[in-house]
Order: sequence, then structure tokens, then C-alpha cells
Amino acid sequence: MATTVIGAGITIEGDLSTDDDVVVQGTLRGKLTARDGVVVEAGGSVEADIASGPAQIAGAVTGNITSTDRVDLQNGAKVVGNVKATRITIADGAQFKGSVDMDV
Amino acid sequence: MARAQRSSQSNAVIGAGAKLRGRVHGDGDLLVEGAVEGDVAIRGDLTVEATGRLQSNVEADSVTVAGTLEGDVTARGVVHVRAGAKLTGDVRGESLAIDEGAEFAGRVEADFELPAELAELGGARAGGRRR
Repeated sequence: MATTVIGAGITIEGDLSTDDDVVVQGTLRGKLTARDGVVVEAGGSVEADIASGPAQIAGAVTGNITSTDRVDLQNGAKVVGNVKATRITIADGAQFKGSVDMDV
Repeated sequence: MARAQRSSQSNAVIGAGAKLRGRVHGDGDLLVEGAVEGDVAIRGDLTVEATGRLQSNVEADSVTVAGTLEGDVTARGVVHVRAGAKLTGDVRGESLAIDEGAEFAGRVEADFELPAELAELGGARAGGRRR
């Protein structure tokens, strides 16, 4: 596995694209494209549109999330943007402002 | 599993197959297995693995290159160019190690104490080494 990790304390400004997983513990500004899963951990911050497989959000995301799989907004997540996914969960304690498109 | 190991070893990882076009900065170590186009400025150690490709000016505590790096390197510590590495650019650091089998084209500016008689001649500046 060639997981890409943006550690706490690290800031990336630009386009990041990968065929594998991305874990965000720090800050990403720009654009994020992952063929596989994206995890935004608590404390992590993404100011970018995300296109990915399954996405687990426990940190802050400002931008639209487009997933080919499921999106889980976990407790503590703060998401401002539209979410498009086949399945979505919004946990108790997650903050979400935007629209949901489940392609019905 | 691998993920937990990785992240504890290294603060940030650009995985093999990942492409980044942009800037990286902040506190922490960075391991590059993929491709980065853009400047890197971190307070931490930078490692470019054999699969890694950087087209960027780099500033870090220590810099270890086993892959390809095109750009100037500024290190607060050691710069280590390993066998198989390809480094094109100027290197500024506390000390520099180039392994046999490494390719390096650029100038070296290392801060170190020269013997008194040499220091009088040229100042504390190392000459460029090219290959």
C-alpha cells in the first residue's frame, strides 16, 4: 500500500492525486483526488474539493465531496459543501452545511 | 496496519503513485515515494525514496535522497545522496555525503571549518563538485 499521509503540522497547497489512500491529519488546500479512500482525521483540515472512493470525515472540510462509494461524516466532523455519494451517514455530533446527492 | 506504522515513523508521506503539484510546508518529517512538483519547506527531515521524484526547491533539517531530485537543496543538517540517486541542483548544508553510484550535478556550499591556511585563501566555502 502506498498510503499518502499529510501529517499534523504539515500544510500542502496544491493538487494532490493518487490511486491509493489519503490520510489527512494536517492541512490540505487545493484539490484532492484519490482513487481509493480518503480519511480526514480529527484535527485535519481540507479546503478543497474531494473526489475519492470511500471518505471518512472526522475533521474539517470546506469543499464538495464526490465519492464513488460511501461518505461517513463522523462525530466532530465539520463539513461545508455538497456531498455526492452512493451512501452517506451523518453521525450525531457531526456538523454539516450543504446538500446531499445520492443519485436516486 | 501499515498506515499506523508509517505515520508514526514519518509525519507525512507522499505515497508511490501519488502526484502532488503544489507547495508543502510546516513542521514534521516528509517521506516522498511519489512525485512532487513544487517547493518543499519543512522543519523536519526530508527523505526521497528510490521511487520518489521531486521537481522542487527543498528546505529541510536533513535531506536524504535515494530517488530523483531536481532543484536546489537547503538543509540545516546533513544532506545524504544515496547510491542510485539523481540530484540536479545546488546543495547548501551543514555537511554533504555522496554515496558511490549516486549522480550529482550542481554546486556545493557547505558550512564547515577550513584549516586556517585554506580559510585565508578562499573563505569557508567548498568548491562545486560535478559528475
